[in-house]
Amino acid sequence: MYNWKLLNTIFLYDGTFDGLLTIAFNCYVSKQIPSNIVFEKHYLGNFLDTAIYVKTDKEKASRIWNGLYSNVSFDALYNCYYAFLSCQKSKEINILKYILNAFIIGPKITSMLSIDYVLEVMKLRKNVLHESHKLKGLVRLSEVGNNLFYAPIHPDNNVIELLGHFLIKRFPTQNLILHDKNRNLMFLYNANKSTQNNVQCSTYNEANNSIKTNIQTLNNYEIIEVPQNIKIPELSKEEKQFQDFWKTFFNTISIKERSNPRLQMQYMPKKYWQDLTELN
Amino acid sequence: MDTQEKLKILSDAAKYDASCSSSGSNRSNSKNGIGNGDVSGICHSWAADGRCISLLKILMTNCCMYDCKYCINRCSNSVPRATFTPKEIADLTIGFYKRNYIEGLFLSSAVIKSPDYTMELMIEAISLLRNEYNFNGYIHAKTIPGSSQELIDRLGKLVDRMSVNIELPSNDSLKLLAPDKSKVDIIKPMNYISSKIENNQKLLAPTSKKWTFSLPSTINKSKKEKFVPAGQTTQMIVGASPETDLKIIKLSESLYNTMKLKRVYYSAYISINHDSCLPTLDKPPLLRENRLYQADWLLRFYGFHADELLDEKHPNFNTLLDPKCDWALRNISKFPVEINKANYFTLLRVPGIGVISAKRIIAARRSCSLNFETLKKLGVVLKRARYFITCNGKYFDRISYFNPTFINENLLMLEKRSTPLKSNYTQLSLFENSLPTKGDVVKCITGNF
Repeated sequence: MYNWKLLNTIFLYDGTFDGLLTIAFNCYVSKQIPSNIVFEKHYLGNFLDTAIYVKTDKEKASRIWNGLYSNVSFDALYNCYYAFLSCQKSKEINILKYILNAFIIGPKITSMLSIDYVLEVMKLRKNVLHESHKLKGLVRLSEVGNNLFYAPIHPDNNVIELLGHFLIKRFPTQNLILHDKNRNLMFLYNANKSTQNNVQCSTYNEANNSIKTNIQTLNNYEIIEVPQNIKIPELSKEEKQFQDFWKTFFNTISIKERSNPRLQMQYMPKKYWQDLTELN
Repeated sequence: MDTQEKLKILSDAAKYDASCSSSGSNRSNSKNGIGNGDVSGICHSWAADGRCISLLKILMTNCCMYDCKYCINRCSNSVPRATFTPKEIADLTIGFYKRNYIEGLFLSSAVIKSPDYTMELMIEAISLLRNEYNFNGYIHAKTIPGSSQELIDRLGKLVDRMSVNIELPSNDSLKLLAPDKSKVDIIKPMNYISSKIENNQKLLAPTSKKWTFSLPSTINKSKKEKFVPAGQTTQMIVGASPETDLKIIKLSESLYNTMKLKRVYYSAYISINHDSCLPTLDKPPLLRENRLYQADWLLRFYGFHADELLDEKHPNFNTLLDPKCDWALRNISKFPVEINKANYFTLLRVPGIGVISAKRIIAARRSCSLNFETLKKLGVVLKRARYFITCNGKYFDRISYFNPTFINENLLMLEKRSTPLKSNYTQLSLFENSLPTKGDVVKCITGNF
């Protein structure tokens, strides 16, 4: 296995996957790895550290992306990407080691679980995919306008994009706003993608701090940052009726003789309850 | 009667069906359609009894002409009755699905007028969903025993999964408790469905010759003819009739082997009706149900046979140990297993090692030899497994500990620890005792105890 020269510096980056891949590119070229990599906004200056900010370079990033994809394997690339979506603090340095050594070890790296960073990356990936799968079931859409659906979520990991793609595939004809309240992110999807020039998309309107539904955008989905106190449109009448139906169904379907609230909580942790229609 | 009330009555009547899974179908969404299947299945919520809710589980109607002793909907019970129209079912399903409450529909029914009439109502509701509403989500439909083959054909082309409930695991119990149903009525449609599924799979399977070129039109045609892509299941009630675990698990095994069933569900009997033919139980036999499920998994994923798990001398499962541990202790001569050499199926038979752990061990030992430390790192749970394995010839502790009585005692300890012990000991408190007297204080000061 290759010995990388360990630097005594901390690299800062802008928090994007491209940023991390840029660092990986620089490290691969200089054969050196930093002592840590930290998201610039999370970094608290320290008297003893030397910190260097690495500017994101799309071209360098795409070379690493393509390199992983074609020279190592699709799995290795996606392991890194999923691990990157994790909320864990020290994820970056493990992903970096994984990427650099993947180019040396080759596709075999995905099964070498006895190496610390490989195992760590696999664990992060598992955690992210697990949460995203759980939320695929637990996300509740409520109709807030004509064919416009809104869903608040509070995930630990940054799964909004994975979840958004899943919902688009399943409900291609519904306009959608997915709101990650922990990160203040919004995933906006516009169902009328056929008319690209005059798209009716739900978008955030800065002037009166609310969501507007008729502003033009080019893509049929986008992820934007929104302020914390954003106004949410009110529920429609039909929506309230279906919420009542759902609550009725939820309460009658359980068998009293088998009551087991601990088991319920084990499968459906309480941190997700705040967004569930049936439990509020 | 409004929809809310009907929903309450008909979901209440449907709740005793154990099946809830939404896996096995990869139906894709159509243009301008709604929904798709997810092969791994998705649970959308969990009810207060800890069972998952993934499908809208309702009956078409609970007006039943049969009088099965164990059933809440039998005609001799006085319960509120209701019937959905096909449109109401379709609207409710779409309304729930759009809001991501459910993965699809589970439609069952009591028998109204005749089996064929009931089936036709169900087909009407489901074809409304599939053809008018462009619904491509998951649909599980129950087949009514005694309905005609032509109707089963029609239903099978619309749904993802079908099931016929056996309910009682022997002909005698069936005669006693469900006098209107017969064994033939149940087995015949099951056989028919399984043969249809098999033929359909052969038809859809890609030919082995790589160079075969098929026109797009033929692909579309075969896609339309998908028949019950997620397979069929059944359910048995445990504890309502005198059958032993051996008899039940043998029946399951033969169902898996001959009819290629996807799942057999076991439902602990709950005393709802009072009848001289039925046992009166305070609580449903949940532990027995759990043991049966554990054994069922051993049959399906671990390569066990029913004969290995139970025999005439031990017709019921051990209540203290799970079936795999129980088997391992009875066959202690096959252990300890060497982690770095044993093949996949031998690893699977070690208590505490499941499908995921076994696969991980096989993958990881290609790059280095494994010891107890690395096993732990891989996420293999050693709580039970460590008694049955060696790593590079080493046992987890002194090899003299490898004897059945020692292992048995330790495994029983593990079981006990997981259920809260009732002990007489309480946490000591600083403030519980009365305050020190003047004499105590003086003693403390003078050091004269």
